[in-house]
Amino acid sequence: MVRAVHYLNQFFAGLGGEEAAGTPPIRLEGPVGPGRGLAAELHGIEIAATLACGDDYFGEHEEEALAHLLELLDAERPDLLVAGPAFGSGRYGFACARFSRTAAKRLGIPALTAMHEENPGVAAAEGVVLVVPTSVNVAGMREALPRVARLAEALVSGRELGPPAEEGYLPRGFRRNEIAGKPGAERAIDLLLAKLAGETRSEVAGGFDRVSPPPPVPEVSRALLALVTEAGCVPQGNPDRLPTIRAQGWLRYQLAGARTLASGSYESVHGGFDVTLANEDPNRLVPLDTVSALAAEGRIGRIHDVFYTTTGNGTPVAASTQFGREIAAELTEAGVEAVLLSGT
Amino acid sequence: MFVTSLPTIATMVGANRIVRGPAITHPFGLDEAERRRIVERALEMLETDVEPTTVWEVDTA
Repeated sequence: MVRAVHYLNQFFAGLGGEEAAGTPPIRLEGPVGPGRGLAAELHGIEIAATLACGDDYFGEHEEEALAHLLELLDAERPDLLVAGPAFGSGRYGFACARFSRTAAKRLGIPALTAMHEENPGVAAAEGVVLVVPTSVNVAGMREALPRVARLAEALVSGRELGPPAEEGYLPRGFRRNEIAGKPGAERAIDLLLAKLAGETRSEVAGGFDRVSPPPPVPEVSRALLALVTEAGCVPQGNPDRLPTIRAQGWLRYQLAGARTLASGSYESVHGGFDVTLANEDPNRLVPLDTVSALAAEGRIGRIHDVFYTTTGNGTPVAASTQFGREIAAELTEAGVEAVLLSGT
Repeated sequence: MFVTSLPTIATMVGANRIVRGPAITHPFGLDEAERRRIVERALEMLETDVEPTTVWEVDTA
């Protein structure tokens, strides 16, 4: 029999509602609450113990909570950790993801969790642990538990897992090469025929996040505006060796009061397009000349004295997302209210 | 906000304020007059409430 430990928050463990959200980690014997339903679905896996923690306690004392939970978990010598389902609950989903991810990383225990795909816990799982998608609220418990059970069984079986859609987990953010049974042309025709028959399928995972449009800038004429580009625009000679493809990071350069990106002072090293026109006049990629003129005319408040650049060429979505976060954090810190980003 | 000649890709990855630039090799145009039209359009968009993945065109001269 495979030994599993189940993680729940205070509510699902029956310890109480919000008033019990400050409860530190505790161990409960056997399956509890939804764990009983899960146990009934599991074949060859027993839930030896349940660990529970208040959502607020976890969020506010994450290090202590994780240390305590890992100690309790390790003492069980489990073969598997299942956390949740947390549905749309952000704090609970976060705790499920952080605990299971840390258990997998530090103790090497196979772990999975379950929650709604928009739960912030999905990002917190960082692709390290499998996340079973659920409905946004607890009404989906009955549908969620068998799916959690099937994936748990697959995870401990030792066989190689298939793709997310086949096995029932959320994409983890990477692609894996595999040998296809048919050449690309035949697969493309198959997809086209399926689409004509009303079923849209794709071999390429989407996985792009969606953010709401930020509110308008109230008065650009008073705002600090920054220039950002993925066009590989760098000082002449590329002193910091920005790669022409698959950049690993981004760079920032002082404009030092310059009012134009002069040819001969700046160039593009982007390997994905012909940079001849850009190098004749780098303002064609990063319009410093025009925004400087508009600032002088009062149409723009001020131009941020630093511009940000990278090469957006063969860059994985995860890397791009990270660059974006890092650059946005610096811009926010600098009080920038408006950004012109150019893409090539 | 994002200036690109490939708004289809920009909308696919979830950019919200997009102005279509004239070409991959020069999203901000070839000359200053063209660049000014593109930048002014972009500033106008920054000042406007938009629906997700909105694409604006630039008036040609």
